Amino acid sequence: MESGNEGANFKKETVSKLMAMYFKDKKTKMSGDAVLAMRELLRVFVTEAAVRAARQAQSENSGLVDIDHFEKILPQLMLDF
Amino acid sequence: EEEQFAYKQRLKAAVHYTVGCLTSEVAEDVGLSFSKRTIAAIAETTFRQCEQFARDLEMFARHAKRSTVNTDDVKLVARRSQSLYNFISEKCDQLTANNQ
Repeated sequence: MESGNEGANFKKETVSKLMAMYFKDKKTKMSGDAVLAMRELLRVFVTEAAVRAARQAQSENSGLVDIDHFEKILPQLMLDF
Repeated sequence: EEEQFAYKQRLKAAVHYTVGCLTSEVAEDVGLSFSKRTIAAIAETTFRQCEQFARDLEMFARHAKRSTVNTDDVKLVARRSQSLYNFISEKCDQLTANNQ
């Protein structure tokens, strides 16, 4: 169930605390599965950000992914999520 | 107030740490390296994006007259992209299957 199929991921605790922090109504809770699904979504979000920035750096023949590459891909990333 | 700030900083640090791990996996895959500033920027963006995600989840749950967010709400958060929606739906189905 922890689905540690590969590599890094957010801790369940981190995800649920993050969400709880932003809930307007303090009575709002999350089911365990919802936390696990949300952590997958966050992992995809971060990986997409990194891969897109890397692709941008590659297209500019840069070996280092820097903040300007990330800035260029940010608007579309925000539209996609 | 100060306690709240410290709590937020700790969460931010946890996000930053995981973003660092995830970007280094990507870096290895593509054979590029990420500057520290970039990793920090991705972490900050993720942290802020969580606010949008949380608000949406809460509203979707309330829309269905629930106070507990479930996997259906998470699927709705992923609605904007078809491939993301499919991926998350599949994950949710796996999770439900594991519970039975």
